[in-house]
Amino acid sequence: MPTVAMTVNGKSVAGNVEGRTLLVQFLREHLQLTGTHVGCDTSQCGCCTIHLNGKGVKSCAVLALACEGADVVTIEGLATGGTADVKLHPMQEAFREHHGLQCGFCTPGMIMSAVDMVKRKGHDLDEKAIRKQLEGNICRCTGYHNIVLAVQAGAAAMKGN
Amino acid sequence: MSLTTSSNRIGQPVRRKEDLRLITGQGRYSDDVNLPHQVRAIMLRSPHAHARIRSIDTRKALTMPGVLAVLTATEMLADGLQPMPHKPQSNSPAEPQLINRDGFVEFDAPHYPLAVGKARYAGEAIAVVIAQTIDQAKDAAEQVEIDYEVLPVVTATAAAAQCDAPRLWDGPSNVTLDADVGDKAATEAAFARAAHIAKFETWIQRVTGVPMEPRAAVCEYDAATRRYTLHAGSGGAVRLKQDLALMLDVPEQYVRVLMNDVGGNFGTRGMIYPEFALVAWAARRVGRPVKWLCDRSEAFLSDYQARDLAVTAELALDKDGNFLAMRGSNISNQGSHPTNYGPLKKGVEIMSSLYRVPAAHFRARAVVSNTMITRPYRSAGRPEVMYVMERLIDIAAREFGFDRVELRRLNLLKSAELPYTNPFGMLYDSGDYPAAMESVLKRSDWSNFPARRAEAKTRGKLRGIGVANYVDTATGVPRERAEITVNSNGTVDVVLGIVSNGQGHETSFAQLVHEWLGVPLDSVRLITGDTDIVKVGGGTHSGRGMRMGSVVIWNSANEIITKGKRIAARLMECDPSVIRFEQGRFLAAGSDRSASLFEVAAATTQLIDLPEDLHGPLTAFSDEIFNEASFPYGCHVCEVEIDPTLGTLEIIKYSAVDDVGRAVNPMIIHGQVHGGIVQGVGQALMEQCYYDPASGQPLTGSFMDYAMPRADNFPFFDTEISEVPCTTHPLGMRPAGEGGTTPALGVVINAVVDALSEYGVKHIEMPATPERIWQAIRSAQK
Repeated sequence: MPTVAMTVNGKSVAGNVEGRTLLVQFLREHLQLTGTHVGCDTSQCGCCTIHLNGKGVKSCAVLALACEGADVVTIEGLATGGTADVKLHPMQEAFREHHGLQCGFCTPGMIMSAVDMVKRKGHDLDEKAIRKQLEGNICRCTGYHNIVLAVQAGAAAMKGN
Repeated sequence: MSLTTSSNRIGQPVRRKEDLRLITGQGRYSDDVNLPHQVRAIMLRSPHAHARIRSIDTRKALTMPGVLAVLTATEMLADGLQPMPHKPQSNSPAEPQLINRDGFVEFDAPHYPLAVGKARYAGEAIAVVIAQTIDQAKDAAEQVEIDYEVLPVVTATAAAAQCDAPRLWDGPSNVTLDADVGDKAATEAAFARAAHIAKFETWIQRVTGVPMEPRAAVCEYDAATRRYTLHAGSGGAVRLKQDLALMLDVPEQYVRVLMNDVGGNFGTRGMIYPEFALVAWAARRVGRPVKWLCDRSEAFLSDYQARDLAVTAELALDKDGNFLAMRGSNISNQGSHPTNYGPLKKGVEIMSSLYRVPAAHFRARAVVSNTMITRPYRSAGRPEVMYVMERLIDIAAREFGFDRVELRRLNLLKSAELPYTNPFGMLYDSGDYPAAMESVLKRSDWSNFPARRAEAKTRGKLRGIGVANYVDTATGVPRERAEITVNSNGTVDVVLGIVSNGQGHETSFAQLVHEWLGVPLDSVRLITGDTDIVKVGGGTHSGRGMRMGSVVIWNSANEIITKGKRIAARLMECDPSVIRFEQGRFLAAGSDRSASLFEVAAATTQLIDLPEDLHGPLTAFSDEIFNEASFPYGCHVCEVEIDPTLGTLEIIKYSAVDDVGRAVNPMIIHGQVHGGIVQGVGQALMEQCYYDPASGQPLTGSFMDYAMPRADNFPFFDTEISEVPCTTHPLGMRPAGEGGTTPALGVVINAVVDALSEYGVKHIEMPATPERIWQAIRSAQK
């Protein structure tokens, strides 16, 4: 089996994978980073969204071998500090503050998408823009209301960081 | 800590305790559990909706790399695996049973986890393939040779009830239940003197729950102790354990069920699934832990589906618009096996909603068809019938010249009329129904709608507005238990038989304990997902979590205080009667002595002269049966704008007033309403499990074809929580989880039809997709 090496959440990692191994499988099964979720098999739900070389992508639609040398950030790598002095990313903080999650399954993908959205579209996002940009992320619990509020607040808070 | 200034009390929008782990990727869902030496299971499913299984040849598959076993119905029956323990009739004493008409012939239709002899829906599991890896199992599954004799199918609800329909079982027809509710003679008499009769025929289409976390299960079997340990998410661990023990035909102590985070439920994940028993059985057979993961495509085949009710209904009115009676027929499509009459019953018994309807009669039938099994889904049965009643009222208003709000005002039950027994025998306890409607009419600026419609018209758009009242019968498994243990290390354990599927139980139940025992919110640890600790509990469904959980926690907390006073009396050398409990401390009257709850808890193991019943640890439990139904209610208004050239629709405003009796955490409740509305609107406008009527093939097999509501389908919602205390609940609470969904179907379709009224459109069936709206406009123009 071929070897693939990349940086995940700031750490160098390597593993033997099959040609068909998806990036999300590599993250979940090889690295035990189970915060990245799989909610569908057609790249519709967005639960598996991560950052690949600074861009938001669905990790179920990328082969692990295609990520040789890449820089990957998952939901586990978004906050800084250790377990004792964890400093949440402003977008994580906003999801908690605005009750932007219920069961939490779509949440890692939502947060990673939202951070990517701010990078692409800037900090002053209006409601319509956020709703349109969330097209690739499905939530079944929240009715999106509080997710949109959270993204708006998180985007504004990222300005200060 | 002063409780009076605490922001964590009952009624406060406390931020959720569970969120830190969920927003940092530390949640633990079913597929996150892997066991050493586990192997993988794949379900081989029937490609035919109805087929006799002539033979299954597994020889070639067994020689494939990595394969440990290929199991079929033959092995399943030989090993004595039992059918699914469905109880079609609910066991809640609050609900009357649906009793078959005289002469109705019942027949057996056992639901085995693997099809025996015949497949009755496309996707029914035929065999389980166990291999070292998923890919090996999938490759081997392709080598299993099955000889099918394809049979004719029936999928549509009303068609399945016909006597010449293709027959699924050896019965006289596909009808599995045929009952009457209400008073037929009184209803006929009322119809005979009616000035107006509104008629409505509809099909509340089939949808499915779609929790975002696909199902997964891993089970290990320990041969030495003969014990099965299953890790799988569900609505409740105890029920899953009991059901699994029944299917494995072993005493309950030989089964342990574990679950942590559960990624959504909505009812369709609420009970045991065939695959859970199959992995347990397979684990024993192969001597290795067996894991199964359902991908989304497989979920659209094998997750329980819901709704699917064919209705004909009539409403009789006098010349002034007073409702006199209603009558009709409801047919529930159960899918391949009759497993749950709950939605049928819960619906048909509140057809009259919150209105004064002196007489009613309905026929309630259930049928089987070549489709996936249907089960309760968020507000099971009630969204369907609220939709029917609210459509009937709008139809009557339009047809007979009444104002639709005035017609509702006239017939809505007033507070002074409660408690009220509806014509089906259900007793509504309390509430202020007109207040909810008036409040939402105001919030939605109903009276100024004509101006908004006129303005939209200038832009070539069609505006419509709809209103819908609702009542929601909440019952569920009647028994629930809580056990509270105060630990001397400053923590409080609460053991409860209700598993959170996203409702924030770790927070709202902790608020109760904080309020009643005066301990910090963070000291409370909720334990729900391990049947070695949790012995009793009905799980999360039918608005029973907070409704029952609050009472058993309240009782347990009071018992802790009573015990604590006696112990504190020993510590402070005074009589228990002079001790009072305030904000987490026991205080002795007339002295400055006091002891904290945790000091008292420590004393239970330190004092050697305590009476036996006070020996440590400091713990108390409450185990209660809840015999009464609860009736949450409210009113929603929806305003839509339609582009007549495209048929596309935009929800301009959605306002809701929902009564929860007493709100524990309003932030969580608003969130429940938002999510509930979207699930209801999803059914009204886009969702449907489509089946090809000729072949019975499901056509909605992924998120590419099953239309899920997305963020840009909605505006922000305008939601209000009403708190009129519930008189049948000791703490005044009503359930809050389903109200968002219950009126949403009716209110949206009422708004859509209102928007299209200038074309003379009288009704549009769900889902009101742009295509259907466009067709309705085009047909009306001809």
